[in-house]
Amino acid sequence: MSYPPEYTPSSAEPRLNRPVPERYPQIRATSGYADPRVRRTGPGPGAGTEQEPERSAMLTARVAVAITVVIGQLWALTVATNAWMAGSTATAWWCTGFSAASFLVVLAAWRIGPRDR
Amino acid sequence: MSGPTPEERALVDRISADSLTTRRDYLRIVATVSGGLAVGSTLVSAGVLHRHGDGTAAPLKVADRLAPGEAVTFDYPGEDDRAMAIRLADGSLVGWSTVCTHLACGVLWRDNHAEQDGLYCPCHEGVFNARTGEVTSGPPPRPLPKVLVVEDEQGAVWAIGTARSGESEEAGLCRGLRERDPALAERAGCGRRS
Ligand code: FES
Repeated sequence: MSYPPEYTPSSAEPRLNRPVPERYPQIRATSGYADPRVRRTGPGPGAGTEQEPERSAMLTARVAVAITVVIGQLWALTVATNAWMAGSTATAWWCTGFSAASFLVVLAAWRIGPRDR
Repeated sequence: MSGPTPEERALVDRISADSLTTRRDYLRIVATVSGGLAVGSTLVSAGVLHRHGDGTAAPLKVADRLAPGEAVTFDYPGEDDRAMAIRLADGSLVGWSTVCTHLACGVLWRDNHAEQDGLYCPCHEGVFNARTGEVTSGPPPRPLPKVLVVEDEQGAVWAIGTARSGESEEAGLCRGLRERDPALAERAGCGRRS
């Protein structure tokens, strides 16, 4: 199976295809439209929410992974600076390698599945 | 001309609350930060930072004589590499770079109660052992870089070389010698060690 999978603007699970007011009872007809300049009816039902609800959690997970990796990079930068200052240039370059590999991971987390919202 | 009315301000507030930063936007931002960190790490490894108190220079006479408990400050090996030679109470002679390994403040010698406090950095209360250069308390991550000091027959004190944080005096001397004259370093027995 190729990644990302074929795009279908709804879910295989009927539960997730219910109209928006049922899925999100808190969202009112006027949610997001309290701007008094708006005089006409806006987009139809379902606009502005996830097109593929199952992929939403995955996107959240990608953000979480990316942030975790960046924290690792911050740590590696302190180790690299300390090592370089103490004269161990080789250790500093290893840390740089780690940082570059981490960047590739973040890049993958960003670029994979570009249609997810 | 008058400023925005409270209603207008409330409206601006309302509209900006509606403008969403999506999780994809966050991913893009985090990826940018990540790339920046990778570039920064490369620059650090390539040596954009100044390694304080490192390098070689011709021997420098720093004092005609130094009594126990006294210290003298000087710049060695470079102009910006502040350093200090101290005669400890038992007569032994030590030399340290006085650029704090935390955030590069100036390290001080407090001669009134030197033995228990050692070298003191006032910026974040870092304390170094005056005999070994090790960090005894506070945030500095590395021992102080060493300045190798010797005494001649007349009792004058000379700075003759440097050793990095945690490096032995011989290793520091050999490294300095290799930088200046590899053949001489070979003959002095420095070539065998890395
Ligand atoms: S700069 Fe010396 S302790 Fe922070």
